[in-house]
Amino acid sequence: MRSILAVTALLAAFANAAKLGISSGHVTISSSDKTLLQSESISIEKPLKAPLELNSKDVLKLSFNVVEKTKKGDDGSAAQPHQTFLRFYDEVSGEEGIQPLRVTSSGKAKFELNMAKPPPSLPPTPAVSNSTHALDKPNPLTVSLILGSFTHEPLHARLFDLVLPASQPAPSHPEEASFHSLPEIKHTFRPDPTSPPKIISMIGAGVVLAPWVVLLGLWAAIPQSLPFLSSPSVLVFTALLGAFEGLLLWYWVALKLGQVLAYGAILGIATAAAGNRALSMLASARTKGM
Amino acid sequence: MAGPKGTSVSSQQKGKAGSSSVPAIQAAVDSLWKSYNDTTSPRLKLIDAFLVFIMLTGAAQFLYCILVTNYPFNAFLAGFASSIGQFVLTASLRSQVNPENREQFKDVSPERAFADFAFGSIVLHFFVFNFLG
Repeated sequence: MRSILAVTALLAAFANAAKLGISSGHVTISSSDKTLLQSESISIEKPLKAPLELNSKDVLKLSFNVVEKTKKGDDGSAAQPHQTFLRFYDEVSGEEGIQPLRVTSSGKAKFELNMAKPPPSLPPTPAVSNSTHALDKPNPLTVSLILGSFTHEPLHARLFDLVLPASQPAPSHPEEASFHSLPEIKHTFRPDPTSPPKIISMIGAGVVLAPWVVLLGLWAAIPQSLPFLSSPSVLVFTALLGAFEGLLLWYWVALKLGQVLAYGAILGIATAAAGNRALSMLASARTKGM
Repeated sequence: MAGPKGTSVSSQQKGKAGSSSVPAIQAAVDSLWKSYNDTTSPRLKLIDAFLVFIMLTGAAQFLYCILVTNYPFNAFLAGFASSIGQFVLTASLRSQVNPENREQFKDVSPERAFADFAFGSIVLHFFVFNFLG
């Protein structure tokens, strides 16, 4: 709750905050023996169109005053922002470098760039092969000013373009190659198995069912000397066994496991009782006959 | 003379044993079949016919699987397993029912053996139908 109130208060403060700007902006390029090569005045409203070029021993000097802008857009009193940066940005490769600047309490700022001793805040500017030029020159860097302040609106404005001498390219990580995606794996799966043609399946079924004929023939050939006790108890037992097989066939076709187990339990009790009766009768007949 | 006679007799015997091996095997098989037919009771012959039937069915299924296809593999396994299981159950029934094995199976009467056989067969059929799909 308190943070929401604080944020709204901050936003309200910014809504009425003053804007920042620079005045008396000046950039000069001099060679190593202090002869002036180029001198321009810079402003935020009109950034320089032609890029400034530095050779490997030149010195670039930049100076400006930070001021508040009035509501009409005129320069007001001097301001000292809490953060002042100079940003060197290569739009083609995306490399950037940030150079912090020191602004005095009266708003004056100065920056000197000596190419004989380049600061570490410069981005790499590798030479880019350009077919129209004889010499390979790096891409121009966009130099812009970043001002940050608690009591003013922030400012990020382009000042000028700068072409630096060619440098070594940005170092690449030795393991960068392994962080790109590998080629896609294309699987080829085995085709699904299919049944053989119907004729062959029919012939196979016939071959497998042929032993039934053999069995019936053999059973017919055996001299039936056993008194098939076709008494009711034996018939009932045989019929119940047949019913069990029928139940299993029905389960194969339609029933579920729970149902077949339930019916099987009922049938099993009946079959066990009938079998007990039939077999004990047979056993007594056998022992009597012996 | 003893020498040539002895050699001729021995050569004759040797000839019978050596060159007539095929008729000898034939004679052995015939006598085996004759003794089986005479000594086995018809009830055991019923069971033996059933065993032959099971063997033929299992062999036919196996040949089909090797020669043609094993595509519904679970069906082949179910059918072949039913042949094997039924053969085992029937063979054990035959050995328990045989009157010549009475001393080994004193506490298992033939009727009890048949009840075990029927129960085992039904359980086997249940598992086979489960796997047949």
